[in-house]
Order: sequence, then C-alpha cells, then structure tokens
Amino acid sequence: MSGDKPKYPGLPPLPPDFVSDYPPLAKVVEDRCIACDRCLPLCFFDALYMEDRPSHPYARVAVVVPARCTGCGLCFEACPVDAFVWVPDTAPKAIANKVVGSSAKENHESY
Amino acid sequence: MALNTTFAGLTLRSPVWVGSGPASHDVNQIKLAEENGAGAVVLKTACSDAYAYMRSWPRPRYKLLDWDKQIAGRSKNFSLYSYEQGYSGSLDDYWEFIRVCKKHTVMPVIGSIFAGEAEDWGHMAQKVEESGADAIELDISSPHRPGSIGFETTFVSAIKAVVRAVRIPVLVKLGPGPDVVQQCITAEREGASAVSLCNRMRGLDVDTESQRPILHGYFGGIGGPWAKYYTMRHVAEAARAISIPISATGGVMSGEDVIKYILLGASTVQILSVILVNGWKSMKRINTEIDAYLERKGIGTLEEIRGRALKTLTDPEEIVRWSGEPLTGSRNVWR
Repeated sequence: MSGDKPKYPGLPPLPPDFVSDYPPLAKVVEDRCIACDRCLPLCFFDALYMEDRPSHPYARVAVVVPARCTGCGLCFEACPVDAFVWVPDTAPKAIANKVVGSSAKENHESY
Repeated sequence: MALNTTFAGLTLRSPVWVGSGPASHDVNQIKLAEENGAGAVVLKTACSDAYAYMRSWPRPRYKLLDWDKQIAGRSKNFSLYSYEQGYSGSLDDYWEFIRVCKKHTVMPVIGSIFAGEAEDWGHMAQKVEESGADAIELDISSPHRPGSIGFETTFVSAIKAVVRAVRIPVLVKLGPGPDVVQQCITAEREGASAVSLCNRMRGLDVDTESQRPILHGYFGGIGGPWAKYYTMRHVAEAARAISIPISATGGVMSGEDVIKYILLGASTVQILSVILVNGWKSMKRINTEIDAYLERKGIGTLEEIRGRALKTLTDPEEIVRWSGEPLTGSRNVWR
C-alpha cells in the first residue's frame, strides 16, 4: 500500500505497512501528552489511565492498556495535542480475530 | 421526587435513560448508569447469528465532526459519526449480560435485539425475557443495518413475532424516516407497547485531501445536538397519532432538551452522545436540571406537562399572515 492513500481517510493515517495484517491500537506519545485528562472520559472501554511520571514535564501521562483498547478512535478526537498514534496489535489473539466481511455482502444482497 | 414516572408499565425514578450503544455494552457501565441516576438502560443491540459478523467492529470506528477540541464536551455543535456495530459477544453471552445487569441493579434493564427472520426475532425476544429483562427494544432501524430492509415486509412480521413471543413491554425503535408517523401507527396496531424515536440517520462524509469517504468508505450512523430538532418534529407528530408511549432519543445535551421532548408528548428520553463526550456525570446533571425546572415552574409531576406544547402546535391554516409588500407594483419595476 502506498503512503499517499491513507487507510482511514479523515483520521490520522496508519503506518502503511501493517494495516492489512494487524488491528490498530491507540498509543500515547508520552513526550506530547500534557496530562489534561480529556481522553479518559471519552474512552468507553476503560483502556486509558493516568500514570505518575516524575520525569515528565507534567509529572503524569495518559497510558493505553493494549488488552482493553478496541481501536475505536475516540481518544484521537479528545486529544488537543495529537498525542495519540496508531500501533499494530501484534498479539496472536488479535490477528486471529480478523473478520472479512464476505458474509456482510451476502446478507446485503439477499434483501 | 418529581422525576418519578411510569412507562409502559415500568416504574422509573427518572425519565432519562441510557440509549442502546457504546455506553451500555458492559456491566460496569450499567453500574455507572445506576449510580448516576439513570431511569433505565437500553443495552447494546445483540444481532442474530445470521448477522454474527456485526459482532466484530472495524478499527477505528468513531469520528467527531465539527468538533472543537479546545471546548470539547461544552461544544453544542458537533456530529458523532460512527461505524460501531452490534453487541460484541455471542448470544449466550448477551443473555448472561442481561442476567448480571438485573442481579445488580434496581432500575429497569431493557434488552435490544436485531435479526432478519421473524423466527429469530421471536426466539431472541423470548431469551431476553427469560434472562430477566424488564422490556425489549427492537432495533429495526439501525443506521448500520445491512441492505435496505423493508419496514412493511420484514419488520411488521418481526413485531408480530416478538409481541406473540413475550409478555414484557415491546418497544420498537424507528428510524428518522421515511414516514415515521405511519410506522408508529403500524407498530401500535401490531401490538407494540411503545416506540423509540428516532434512531440515528445513516450519513456520509468525505475527506477532501484524499478525496475519499471518511473512515472505511461506507455510510456511518450520524447524530449530534442538531438532530434533536428533527426528532422533536417526529415525536410531536407521533404523539398526536398514537396512544402508546414514546421514548424520545436524539441530540439531548441538557435537562432543557429533555423537558422539550416531554412537552412534545414523549414519556421518556434516551441519551448517549452526551455521555460519550461529557462522561457519566452528564446523567446526574441532566436529572438535576430537570428537577430545577420543575421546582422553578412549580410543577409536581412530569405528567402535568407531558404534551403541553402539542396543544399550541398549530395547523398552517391557522397561522396569521401579513403581506409585507403590495401584491403588485414597484417590485416589478427594473431600476
């Protein structure tokens, strides 16, 4: 896949090399996080929490729990400093869960 | 408390419910709903096995359009564009979900289902009732439903099958069109206990940089604060045409929005986007705002004001009109 075609138009593009094989997960770039807490209430999967980080300018950062993140994208919308990025979920379980929507097409056309 | 009300035989401590969606797919959210004063909760919609693929969700699947990150949840102008699908577990998991919710909460818990064949609708409704749900909502109008399933053919038979299969109240959730009033009348005729108005619309947005539809290139469900004005019209029209109660849903951000729906004849109001963007405290805030309104206006119960605004909803013939200009003359003189 070429870099000039973002996989999900309108959202920050995923790195072009992994999208077809791995489900995307959210991750916080800690250097960018301003510890504003705005992403926490928007996460409906309890996949975000604040962690103390004494060395960080704001002493706290948002952290994504990969096991709970469903890649919905809402935290990207909450973040005023674009601290979220997509990373591939390479856990074997995640890859096994890939669903190709062929049955979607069949059902679509049967009505 | 003045917020107490009843709905199709259910006793409620508040008219404000959590609508079916991402805020009602996990038992811990149901706990939060109860703690924050929800009148009831409509669980995330479970799809029949024929639509099992809808239990898997694309990533990402949400985008907030026209969203100002600086004012965030205080924004009154945004759209939630989403391609989230049905309840992500198996049907057995869903029945267990209902049982756990019922075991730990006092407020009514309403199951929500979607299927294709009438037989599946009936069977799933039965299981929802057996699992202990207080009512059932038929999600016949999801913006994500596959194809263009006809209301008159598929869904009339679905309503019939469910009404035959269960004794708990049956709510039919209708889309914002076409012909909402006629669908309400049909739902009432087929024995539905109530209608939920309205589901979100199916929308589309385009990214001009890549010149492609956003997200996954397919239509998304779209709603937001602006959507309430369309739903208010549908609620008003329906309230005049049917006698079963209406649960209004769409664009509610404040207690005032809830009051508006009730003044137009709704019995309960479902909220969701506001919880998504402002958190669970919104539920508490909205209840407080309704309470304050009732107090300020000296109103004892919600029944007193239900449908009050309908009485002054006029017909076009009764609107007083004035011509602003002479009927003929200088308007047609080219200078």
